[in-house]
Amino acid sequence: MPTPASAASALAPSAAASAPLWTLEGLRAADPVLGLALLMLAAVVIAETLHRTWRLPRICGHMLTGALASPLMLQLLDRFELDPWKPLIDLAIGALVFELGTRIRLRWLIDNPWLALSCVLQAGLCGLLVTIGLVWMGAPLVTAAVAGIVALSTSPVIVLAVTHESRSRGQVTERLLLMAALNSVVAVVGLKVLRVVLASSPEGGGGDEVLQAVISALRVISGSLLLGLAFGFALDRLSPLVRGTPAMPVLQIALVIAASLLAVQWTLSPLLALLVAGMAARTRMSHGLVVEPHLGSAGAVLNVLLFICLGLLFTVEGLRTLWPWVLVIVLMRLLGTSLAVGALARHSALGWRQAGALVLALQPMSSLAVLLAADTFGWTSQLPGVHKETLQALLLAVTLMQLTGPIWTQLSLRYVARETNPG
Amino acid sequence: MALQAFTPSQALTLGVELELQLVSTHDFDLAPQAEDLLRVLKGHTGAWDVKPEITRSMIEIGTSIQRQHAALVAELQDLRGQLARGARKLNIGIAGGGTHAYQHWSQQQIFPGERFHYISELYGYLAKQFTVFGQHVHVGCEDGDQALWLLHALSRYVPHFIALSASSPYVQGVDTGFDSARLNSVFAFPLSGRAPFCLGWDEFGRYFDKMTSTGVVQSMKDFYWDIRPKPEFGTIELRVCDTPLTVEKAAALACYLQCICRWLRESKPFEPAEDDYLVYTFNRFQACRFGLDGEIVDPKTKERYRLRDDILRTLARVDEHALDLRALDASNLIRESLFEGNDAGWLRAQHARGLPLSAAVEAATRRWMALD
Repeated sequence: MPTPASAASALAPSAAASAPLWTLEGLRAADPVLGLALLMLAAVVIAETLHRTWRLPRICGHMLTGALASPLMLQLLDRFELDPWKPLIDLAIGALVFELGTRIRLRWLIDNPWLALSCVLQAGLCGLLVTIGLVWMGAPLVTAAVAGIVALSTSPVIVLAVTHESRSRGQVTERLLLMAALNSVVAVVGLKVLRVVLASSPEGGGGDEVLQAVISALRVISGSLLLGLAFGFALDRLSPLVRGTPAMPVLQIALVIAASLLAVQWTLSPLLALLVAGMAARTRMSHGLVVEPHLGSAGAVLNVLLFICLGLLFTVEGLRTLWPWVLVIVLMRLLGTSLAVGALARHSALGWRQAGALVLALQPMSSLAVLLAADTFGWTSQLPGVHKETLQALLLAVTLMQLTGPIWTQLSLRYVARETNPG
Repeated sequence: MALQAFTPSQALTLGVELELQLVSTHDFDLAPQAEDLLRVLKGHTGAWDVKPEITRSMIEIGTSIQRQHAALVAELQDLRGQLARGARKLNIGIAGGGTHAYQHWSQQQIFPGERFHYISELYGYLAKQFTVFGQHVHVGCEDGDQALWLLHALSRYVPHFIALSASSPYVQGVDTGFDSARLNSVFAFPLSGRAPFCLGWDEFGRYFDKMTSTGVVQSMKDFYWDIRPKPEFGTIELRVCDTPLTVEKAAALACYLQCICRWLRESKPFEPAEDDYLVYTFNRFQACRFGLDGEIVDPKTKERYRLRDDILRTLARVDEHALDLRALDASNLIRESLFEGNDAGWLRAQHARGLPLSAAVEAATRRWMALD
């Protein structure tokens, strides 16, 4: 299935182009828009079937559809062919992250300092234990640290999508959303700090490079904050014009697109910018801000597309040899989260059962921190000199914990925390 | 099961119970987090009590036995402080008010517990619709006969308490036009309304035996009367009040009841009669529907009075008792609220400023938690 960029070549007469649409060859050569529509149709059918048969979260079906279409299985689409779609995917992520931002109330961290400590400890311990585990397996420290930082975050889009679908409400749900947002921010900042640390090491480029890295890190963090604040304020100013009309989600989506694209253009962090935009808008507008799930039906369509694309990025390459590494990453994350949440559970007013539920619900992995900052979906190729096996193990762990993550989160919220309404 | 003996208690002692709303700080809809708050409050330092209610978004608090207004207010304020600290730790809010303005009954979850599941099984959807929030005031009585006499003598003053405490104008996102729509949910229960006219504890015992023999009731808890005797506590329990938006108002209402009870006991201005109930339902409706502007009919003279005026006259009659009971601050607060309007009016005023109902719930939350 060609993307717009390769659509012209696909239009050239060839055996593939003339193949009927119901054959694999025909699908691969199909018009990109038609192909996308068929893929989304398949995603909806597969997701509904899985949901009705085994009560699996629908996003599992969407990701599975992506995986089926990927080079892994039917080879309908190559992951590099996704690059032209990246702005749309960034928008889908942006919409979810903005919505998450509107739900975050930082005042909670002041009212419950043990919870704040728990968030910091969870991110720190996960990153540290994964790094130590990978170094113990033989990975170079720098690559292990990159993997540790990526692994410390929980996928905010997966947890938000699952809480939407299960309509869960309660203490575990609220903490899950807060911790997923905060550890994603820690991952963004962590990668920037790592760059500074690397530049200041003896192998780094010396004084100039350290300074450049520090300036770059400060620029990205402060720039993203300012951009987010500006868009939060802009939404506050523009909302009275469309309040109570169907144009409200349109305004929100337009601002999310603008913020997301400007963040990319100025090499800032769209994740940080949109989280801050959501928080700023909520603070400024309070009850005047009505945010529909996924920012309305247009956002819901993008959401399906997003999870299909996440499925397309799945990989099983090297699983046979790298499975012990994958196991180390998954187990160390689990251990880090369990230690952090468990140690401070009672102090932060969480029951033991809820602590268990929160640990389980935090398992979906995310590569969003790097994905949103990268120019292309092949972000791993932008890290020259890294240990390829470690990075591949990280991608395998991400694949595993993205595909199964929604199930863990749903199980946790429904059966352990009991925060979904059985009636 | 026979009616248990009436435990004697010191006359005119008070106990206040408040059913409270737990709301999310995100959308200010009800939050099913009663178990969390109860866990946080396990080691609280007061003599007061906190326990679950029928659905997971409610809790009920109860004061210790009190005699005077100042001590009651102090205990309620301590209770509020500890509850608010616990709630902030959990990122939830606590609000007064007889109903939540826009919660949907079908989304409520029954609190895990034998009695709550029994009620849920018996009453079906009514149990979830019973996610309404009231204030109950216990008044101590020396014996069962005194309790029943006072219960029926108080029936004329039931509309006062409905109108003064009314704080439930909104149900399921709509202004019902009632100041206290909460009581409409209570009326749906088959054993709600008024207690049978018995003035002796033995006679009441015979009525109770007849009812238990039918299998319709098993204990006093199955009666949802506006005022009911509570033999194990040695009290009568007034159950018609909506939970007010502040603990100060809750204390003032309790002490207003205490003053009326003292006046009734000492002055005996009339003898209760079955015919008092001829106008009871009409008066109660007027209070629910129109609040302080409602018109009630005097069962003896058949004259009509505006509720606001009748309360003012009653306040004047009980003033010397308020002085003796050191409840003048409570009387003054009640008097002021007659002119300022009840909590239903305050909630409507929040919404009338063009803000959504969630803003009215947030304002009520801030008011109850004393955050402003």
